[in-house]
Amino acid sequence: MDELVQYSRWRRGAVPVVIILGVDIFTVLLFGIISPSHVFLSVQSFKDLALNGCQTALLGVGVAFLLGAGELDISLGANIILSSVVGGKVMATMASTNSGAAIALGVITCIATGAAGGFFNSVVVTRLRVNSFIATLASLGIMTGLADVLTGGYDIAGIPLALQRDFGIASLFGVIPNPFALVFLIIVAAGFLLRRTRFGLRTLALGSSREAAVRAGLPVRKNLTLLFTMAGSFAGFGGLIDLSRYTTTNISGHTTDALAAIAGAVIGGTSLFGGKISVWGAALGAMLAVILQQGLVVVGLPSFYQLIAVGVVLIVAVSVRGFTDAEGRSTLRVVRRLQQGLKAHQSGKEVVRASE
Amino acid sequence: MTREEGVKMLRVPVVGSSPTGLLEKAIAVDGIWKNYGHVEALRGASLAVAPGEIVALVGDNGAGKSTLLKVMCGAVAQDAGRVTVGADDFPEGTAVDPQRYGIGVVYQDLALAPDLSVVENIYLGHELIWRGWRRSLGILNRKAMATEADVALRDLGIELPTVELPVSLLSGGQRQAVAVARAVKWGRQVLLLDEPTAALGTRQTSIVKDLVRVVAARGIAILIVSHDIPTVVEMAHRIIVMRQGSVVREFAAKTVTIAQIVGAMLGETSSQDGGVTSP
Repeated sequence: MDELVQYSRWRRGAVPVVIILGVDIFTVLLFGIISPSHVFLSVQSFKDLALNGCQTALLGVGVAFLLGAGELDISLGANIILSSVVGGKVMATMASTNSGAAIALGVITCIATGAAGGFFNSVVVTRLRVNSFIATLASLGIMTGLADVLTGGYDIAGIPLALQRDFGIASLFGVIPNPFALVFLIIVAAGFLLRRTRFGLRTLALGSSREAAVRAGLPVRKNLTLLFTMAGSFAGFGGLIDLSRYTTTNISGHTTDALAAIAGAVIGGTSLFGGKISVWGAALGAMLAVILQQGLVVVGLPSFYQLIAVGVVLIVAVSVRGFTDAEGRSTLRVVRRLQQGLKAHQSGKEVVRASE
Repeated sequence: MTREEGVKMLRVPVVGSSPTGLLEKAIAVDGIWKNYGHVEALRGASLAVAPGEIVALVGDNGAGKSTLLKVMCGAVAQDAGRVTVGADDFPEGTAVDPQRYGIGVVYQDLALAPDLSVVENIYLGHELIWRGWRRSLGILNRKAMATEADVALRDLGIELPTVELPVSLLSGGQRQAVAVARAVKWGRQVLLLDEPTAALGTRQTSIVKDLVRVVAARGIAILIVSHDIPTVVEMAHRIIVMRQGSVVREFAAKTVTIAQIVGAMLGETSSQDGGVTSP
């Protein structure tokens, strides 16, 4: 019986968390050893990792919930951009009159915009019955375009410095970056939501067997709407982190965020086909992509290799699962489709810019 | 009409031999018609099942068994006719929630979520939530759910290593047992089973047969739709044969032969087969 319970825990993602944590630590140590003066193992490097990784980890958790319910959101990176643009506009407009009020309203706007983006996706998926991959591929374009329209293609300046000083670059006890601490708390709450609440159970049921969920009388539309909105609000938090760290937006960035988040979730033990979610696995899996990106920079490889690293790690990790179970083999096909979709979107974006 | 009046009205003879003789009907359908476009799936089908009785509904492909089952579980609204559960009629022209009427349904595909545990599957849609402030957050009372699920399974004689196991790790017979246990837990008057032994081996079929008898012994009316005639003859008290959307023949399971049932399915009638021709 113990073996059965242990096996069931393994299938539910408890054990992959330990493995992915081990892989993260191993990768950090590896880069620490080969980096000049072992700079990758310095406190500052860890702080940078925490700051750079918390956004992707948050998206990883959001997308893990969606994957667990049998859905997908590849617009999260674009949602970060749009949220930061709308929130940043509010802050920049109000900053000259009342800095505190500007920050408060900007924070709310940022998160609300992210949530609205997720809600929009949910409407397209649940009401118009568009497959979530196609729906969020479309909204990726819409959100990116909207951000460009709102900014004219230029990053927003004039964000109150107090946001950066008191939150973005501030640290708890001088060690733990505030954005990281906030994201950590959100992930703890997400873990609780998944394992302890009716919402978490129903999320897994939706992904495990949509038919069973419908026949059990679950409010499928409502649950999916909440899930997409939650993932969107996580992207809103991501946009807020951008504003607080740099006091500006990053409208040309975040192109690989959704891919890294999905990669992190899958590497961490979440099933691309629903029914299995590992919240901490998703966060730690997303961190792995960030560790690789930052590590490659520290050891002196050009930044272009960052993109390759994310793709390679995703394929290797999913291939390992592909050899261990049949589900993983079909996972590979979905991942390839995803990469093709993102590639097509990015090349479209480049064509537009070239024509400008 | 009061519930008592309804029950009294329904105390009418049931054709064939029920385990307790002539009793009130737990569920009855009367003159059900259902068309899908030009296709007449049901043409005035009528039947009734008494509490504690096991009735098998058999027929060739396209006879209307599955459509009648869907009407009886409220998934499909009939075009005409009446469905009565205990003293209550289904509302006309709309699908209904079977559990509201005490009907449990086990679908052919079982409708279980393979990644969820046994207890989670049993309580899906009926989760136990803590009282007080935890209620507003929808926090699950997992301990109570596990304890109650364990009791429900043991009451039906279902032995599992633990209710925390994912359903994907169970055998076909165990999955069927879990689906039945869930249906019985939330459907307290009637249990409808769609092909319960399809794709099961001999040993697993035996588990399901025993389980169905245990459930019937608790006074729950059971209707089984199946192609597996030898198995349902062993399990049921009564065999009802459907053909071309209508109930054409009823047999007492104790005395009928498989040849007689097959004959009725094919439209051959005999005055000496012991069956009763439906009006």
